[in-house]
Amino acid sequence: MVGAALVILGQQSLDDGPRGGLITLVSGEYWWTLLVALAAVALVGWSYSVLAWRMTTYAIGEETVHLRRGILFRQQRHARLDRLQSVDIRQPLVARFFGLCELTLETAGGTDSGVAIGFLKGSDADELRAELLARAAGLKVARTGPAAGAPTQASPGAVAAPAGPGHAVPVGPAPEGQPGQPLEAVAPGPTSLEAPQVPVLSVPLGRLIASVVRSGAMITLVAWALVVVVVMIATGEFAVISASLPAVLGAGGYLFGRLTGEFDFRVAISPDGVRLRHGMLETRSQTIPPGRVQAVRLVQSVLWRGRDWWRVQVNVAGYGGESEEKNSVLLPVGTREEALTVLSLVLPDLGVDEPRRILDAGLDGDSRTESVYVTAPRRTRILDPVAWRRNGFTVTGRALLLRRGRMVKILDVVPHERTQSLGLSQGPWQRRLGVASFQVHSTEGPVHPEAPHLDAGDAARLMAEQATRARSARAAAGPERWMERQGE
Amino acid sequence: MTSPFEPHDVTWSRVSPRLVTAMLVPATISLGIPMVVGVVLAVTISPWFWLLAGVPAVFLLWSILLIPRQVRAIGYAERDDDLLIRKGVMFRSMVVVPYGRMQYVDVEAGPLDRKLGLAKVQLHTASVGTDAQIPGLPPDEAARLRDRLASRGEARLAGL
Repeated sequence: MVGAALVILGQQSLDDGPRGGLITLVSGEYWWTLLVALAAVALVGWSYSVLAWRMTTYAIGEETVHLRRGILFRQQRHARLDRLQSVDIRQPLVARFFGLCELTLETAGGTDSGVAIGFLKGSDADELRAELLARAAGLKVARTGPAAGAPTQASPGAVAAPAGPGHAVPVGPAPEGQPGQPLEAVAPGPTSLEAPQVPVLSVPLGRLIASVVRSGAMITLVAWALVVVVVMIATGEFAVISASLPAVLGAGGYLFGRLTGEFDFRVAISPDGVRLRHGMLETRSQTIPPGRVQAVRLVQSVLWRGRDWWRVQVNVAGYGGESEEKNSVLLPVGTREEALTVLSLVLPDLGVDEPRRILDAGLDGDSRTESVYVTAPRRTRILDPVAWRRNGFTVTGRALLLRRGRMVKILDVVPHERTQSLGLSQGPWQRRLGVASFQVHSTEGPVHPEAPHLDAGDAARLMAEQATRARSARAAAGPERWMERQGE
Repeated sequence: MTSPFEPHDVTWSRVSPRLVTAMLVPATISLGIPMVVGVVLAVTISPWFWLLAGVPAVFLLWSILLIPRQVRAIGYAERDDDLLIRKGVMFRSMVVVPYGRMQYVDVEAGPLDRKLGLAKVQLHTASVGTDAQIPGLPPDEAARLRDRLASRGEARLAGL
């Protein structure tokens, strides 16, 4: 962190000074003042960082995580572990040189509600994550070293005691209850809390590049470039290029970010939920515990159809906001088999006998194919001439499936117990045709489940029945602490 | 054809008609000022400024006609397990919010609302998409609804 601060401060102080002034200063006889000023800035930045580091402490309690930070404006944050939505370990490029990580614990409190503990040594971050997940899962965890919840310095220096008494180890099988939990089978030791993970799949680099080349953003970029070239030839003005540069840079930056962010994407499953690991410059290792996925979207952009590739995105509470693009991807690109495998990791049971048939019909079926989907009536083709055959929904025992889109095909899956609220809307044209659009409101994220232009009767029935289904599914839903359900 | 906005087992409560005043006053101010300016300029400088006066006048007339209908279209209903809110004349919408999904309830009243004896109740779930607000409630009814929603939400509270 200090190193990063130094680098950034150094860059800033160089950038701030006007170039001309800098050159005259360097060539003049008072050149040494520049060095002194730089050193002063570096010293101030360094001491600020040291102070900030000293003020940042965290502690793990029985049911909460505490974080204290800030120098002038102090902040204390307590997060309840049973409300934990995900635990991510992020390693930016600079931190990687020093072997440091930042651990972020998302709770469902909206933007900036997470607890970011940074920076930690890599192994400490892994252990902390394992401990947090074990506690959030409802396993009994005791610290054999200092009393539980003793403040620990959030820094490499202070947590340097490795694999020693300061470690969290699980209490052996609790004498009275919770027998037969899978985690307790693992021998106690430094890594004993780490739930065993099974790799499921990884995305080959070639396919990732091909998928980005065939993505919607790339199509837009190429079309834009063609327009620019045509305009340039027609007008003979080269200034067109420089005028269109910002848009090209923006699209290029997005594509580059997608490529580096989703580089070496690996999906694994563990008792603590789905594990994702990805990134080239900044690596992220995400853990999404069971039952935290609010909605899933499978989407296929138009040029992916030939290879039958799909992208899987999720809504997880706390993942919304600016980092949505990086966090909410469960599979950047994969075959249909892989996409459905990933879907089954987060929603293991759809509550039907033959999920594959329903899912296939949702992915590329339309109203001409025989399926259980309730589709939009033929009269809506005037409202949605391209995709009206695709608009539809079906209900299974555990989830609501909504499909739409013909160029860009979309299938949204919302488990009944994760429905927040339901909406129905109808414009003047829709009223005339006797149709209405149905929405499921989910937490902030890339998935916005809706079924456009349903027959008014179907929509009203779906609205009434879905409210009932969501209620009974919530009553039957598993506990927030996911390991407790085996113990009972 | 039955409307999907009229579930059969629901009795809708209406909001106070004073909401018409509360909505018309800001509309009159924001549209009336450019209208008056336009009229003054048209009389003193050039008849072309009648255009400037005409456009807000049309919008104002439209609002005066539409707002009473919009207010009458707002309805809410407390069912056993969820709250229904509907609104809109041309573009209709209805939202169902289960009590167990409510994260918090806001009661707001601006200066004009307070003068007229009105308050707005807004429900928040974990979704930003939930647009569940009931404007134009008398303060007593707003307080009653708030307490009732809070207690029902507590009784049916579920995780996310």
